[in-house]
Order: sequence, then C-alpha cells, then structure tokens
Amino acid sequence: TLRLMCTTTAVQRKNVGAAGPEKYTEAFIKKQIEEFNLGKRHLANMMGEDPETFTQEDIDRAIAYLFPSGLFDKQARPMMKHPTEVFPEQRKIQWGEDGRPFHFLFYTGKQSYYSLMHETYEKFLNVQKHQDQLVAEDLPLRKEKRNLAGSRWLTKIELEEMLLEKLSDDDYSRFIQLLQKLVALPCADIEENYIQKFSKEVPVQLQKVVIEPLQYDERGVAFSTGEGKRKTATATAVVYDNGTGKITVNGTDILHYFPVLQDREQLLFPFQFLGRIGKHDMVCTVSGGGRSAQAGAIRLASAKALRSFVTEKEVEFMRQAGLLTVDPRVKERKKPGQEGPRRKFTWKKR
Amino acid sequence: MAAPSAAGLGRRLRAWLPRIMPVRWSRYNPSYLEPEVKKESYQKPLEELTEEEREQMELKAVQPIKAAPPTLSSSVFSDPMISKFTNMMMKSGNKVLARSLMSQTLEAIKRKQLEKYHKAPENEKETIECNPYVIFHQALKNCQPIIGLSNITKGGKTYQVPVPLTDNRKRFLAMKWLITECRENKHRRTMMPEKLSQELLLAFNNEGPVIKRKHVLHKMAEANRAYAHFRWW
Repeated sequence: TLRLMCTTTAVQRKNVGAAGPEKYTEAFIKKQIEEFNLGKRHLANMMGEDPETFTQEDIDRAIAYLFPSGLFDKQARPMMKHPTEVFPEQRKIQWGEDGRPFHFLFYTGKQSYYSLMHETYEKFLNVQKHQDQLVAEDLPLRKEKRNLAGSRWLTKIELEEMLLEKLSDDDYSRFIQLLQKLVALPCADIEENYIQKFSKEVPVQLQKVVIEPLQYDERGVAFSTGEGKRKTATATAVVYDNGTGKITVNGTDILHYFPVLQDREQLLFPFQFLGRIGKHDMVCTVSGGGRSAQAGAIRLASAKALRSFVTEKEVEFMRQAGLLTVDPRVKERKKPGQEGPRRKFTWKKR
Repeated sequence: MAAPSAAGLGRRLRAWLPRIMPVRWSRYNPSYLEPEVKKESYQKPLEELTEEEREQMELKAVQPIKAAPPTLSSSVFSDPMISKFTNMMMKSGNKVLARSLMSQTLEAIKRKQLEKYHKAPENEKETIECNPYVIFHQALKNCQPIIGLSNITKGGKTYQVPVPLTDNRKRFLAMKWLITECRENKHRRTMMPEKLSQELLLAFNNEGPVIKRKHVLHKMAEANRAYAHFRWW
C-alpha cells in the first residue's frame, strides 16, 4: 500500500471523525441510573406487580414477554440492565484544568499498573528489612507455609477490571512473578492483607458434582445408572449389586461385542480400580462412534454409575485416576488448502 | 496456521481456545493435570507421605484432571512402555495387528527362555530370567544411548556435536533402533515376533546389532569431543 509522504498520521486515519471510545461523564451515568429506576417502576406497573419488590429476574422475564425476539445470540436480544453493567467502568479525566496530570506516572501510559508494581516492590523490601531485623536479633523466622493449593491468583481479565487499564500478557506474568517472590519469603505474613487482595479461593473439585443415591428395583437389588460420551458415541450403563461380574452390551455378551482385548480391558478398568470385579452386574446400551469410542463411552458411564456404590474418598481417587472426566478430544476438521487436518498437499517445485 | 473448531458435539464439549493458536495444541485447558492410574499410590496411608507428596495431593484435589487414555489401565497387564512400543510398531493405525504382534513376541520370548531353563543344569537355573516384561525393560535400558550427536552449523560447515539426551529421547531412540533393525535386517520369510524376540534376547545380554549401533554412536561422540564447546544449551 502506498503512503502519502507529506501528510500527518492524523489525516491518514481512515475515519477522520472517530475519536477513541465514548467517554461517559458522571452526570450522564447518574441520569441513566435515574431513568433505569423510573423505567423499572413503570414496567412493574405494566406487569401488574409491586414496584418495590421488582427484581432483575422479573425485569428480564417482563422484557422477554413484551419484546419477543427470534435472534439466536442472547446478547443481541432486547435487554434492560442496570447502567453499571451496560456502560463499562471508565476512569475520570486524569489531568487538572491547567493540563497537568494528577498521577506522577501518567506519562508511562499504564499508570495504575506501574504504581501497583511499585507498591508491591515496596512491600517486598519492607518484608526483607523485617527479616534482616529478626536475623540481627537472632530471633527465629516464622515458617508457616501458606496453603497454596486452596487459592489462585487473579486472572489477567480480573486484574484488568481492577486496574481499569489494558495489560499485556508479559506485564501480567511479571506481576504474578513478583507476587510469588513476595509470598516465598518466610516473613511474608506481615503483608498478608495486601496479598489477599490478589488471591481468590478455589473450591475443592469434588464438591461441584452431586452423587445420586442408590435406587432399588423389584427384587430388592440395588442399582444405579450412568451416562457416558466419547467422540460421537453415547452409552448408558446400569450397574446392579450382588452380581457375578456379567457384562451385557446391547443384548450381547462383551466377549462377542468387543473381540479386541484392549476394549474389554477398558470396560473392566473402573471395576478393577475399585477392586469390585466379581461383585457387580452391568447392562449397557451404546450407539454411535467406533469400536474404541464405544468402549470409552461405556467406561465413563460405568464409572459414573459406580459413584453411588462407593465412599467419597474412593470417588476422589477415581477422579484422580481420570475415570470421571469426559474426554474432549474429537476428530479435527479438514482445512481448505490442505489435504487433511494437518497434512498439506504434495509440494511441487514447479 | 490452522484454527480448530468444535465440530459434531457442539458447545458442551467446546475446547478451551487461547487467543493465539499455536500449532501443537490440545483440547484440554492447560490447568488439567495428568491422571495417576496405579492403585498402589492411592492405598498409602496419610502418615507415610512426604511433604512434597502432601502438597501434590492437595493441589490435585483442587485442579481438574484429564481423562485416562484408552491404552492406559490399572490392571497388571498394562505397561506404559509396552504401549509406547506397540504404538511405534503400528502402521496406518492398525492397533489390533500391532498389539497381537507384541503379545506374540512376549510369548516367543517366554517360550525360548523356558526351553533354555529346562535344558540348563541345576546351578544355572536361577540365573535364567523367564519374565518377558523384565527382559523387555532390561533390553530397552541396555539399548539406550547416553550421549547423542546433533548437527550444528558454524561458519558454513556442519559439525556433529556431542550433546546430552533427555530420558524421553533416549527411550525413543532405543525403541526406534530396535524396530528398524527388525524390519530391515531379516530374511524375507521370518515373522516380526520371531525376529523381535531374537533381538530383545540379544540386547538383554548386551550383544546384537542394536547394542553395536549404540556403541558406534558413543565412539563417534567420543571422536568429536573437540567440538563439544559448540553447544550453547
């Protein structure tokens, strides 16, 4: 592309009238909030409900009723939300009337990020000084290790929201490295308050899944069902208690349905892991996929069904052995200009 | 660069996708950990674990874990090294054939060792190893080179520089040499299991063409010792 030499970059911009993202003044946001509250009361009146106890969910339902839309994307449909959710948080103007900026790091471009780094490093030096003092007085350094497993650092997006500034991946990783260095010092407990601003609790994985109770059929035998998927194959398994270890797939025995040893090994994997090979009977139905995919789907279904028979600790062991996760690997699509997902056409020099 | 898409199974199974697509990628989020299949590691009581293992356990309790692949299982018969070797022997995705060849090889090793065992005098019977898995592992270990050569171009000329190898690379080279040896240097009528069992038994006793190839590589590395300073990693 050719570039005109004697013009400024301002003129070379395609859309001359465009000036950055819209800046919302405080007065504008306040007006929007008042309008929203008024509109909420009007809406409540229209729907015949009490304006005082009209929650956001009621608003969503009312709007979906009054303005039905056939659009697929939920974000494109009409919505009425509080202005703080609609308009992104923006920083107020950073300079005074004389044009002089308030913050001393304004001209770095990322003032909040650099001021944050400065603060964190100050705390780091503080902790080191405290440590040196303790060493000079021959007092023992505290060594209670912080539990790293239950917490995680803020993600880049969360940090960006906190600072109201765009960060690069490099900046973010530098900040995390600094925080980790700070936490690694033995006397970091002093700055615990500061560090907690940047860490979040992670709940234990197991609590996310609900284990269903056992069901009993007419003969009084306990059984439970599970469903599994693997690469276009779906399977449902019903595991019965007090069995002899017989496994039936789609009406036929596994020896006839899966002639390959590897598939049968996969079917028996959950039972062998828990040590319950001869104790359960299984009846499964499977469709779709190929030989190995069906075996994987049944394995997942039986592992899910066995969860109800087993203690919580063993469920956690099963999860750590990889028996309870759905395998997300699927066939990669073929791309245009190539023969397959990765293979390119034969390269001919001429 | 190729961009993936979650075809077929829809949004529920959508892969985690980073903003810039690398060429080597996986459908799992990078926070997913590898599964631990062996039953023994879960049966240890809490007191016996060291500090590191305790930390690892806590970390595992919080992070999600990948699904176990179909070749891996907690039974005594599944061995990761044997599955790796089977995959390398496999051609055009014919896993059934590769697996049957592997089991025939192990059977052949067992048969040969049992023949030797029954023919040997009393005092030598204890020294003969009959377990084919043990023979396989020991043979692979004997075939692994310690040092490798890498081509480094300096000043227009390419030199063969001696370079340390990682564990994975050593195992890969040992398996690759065994397989190429068995595919090429044999009589037209001999079957793969027979030839492989022969090679494995020779490697177990530190004899045979694969061990010779390893020694040749070591000698070349020793001869090119002068260029070792070209390595910058």
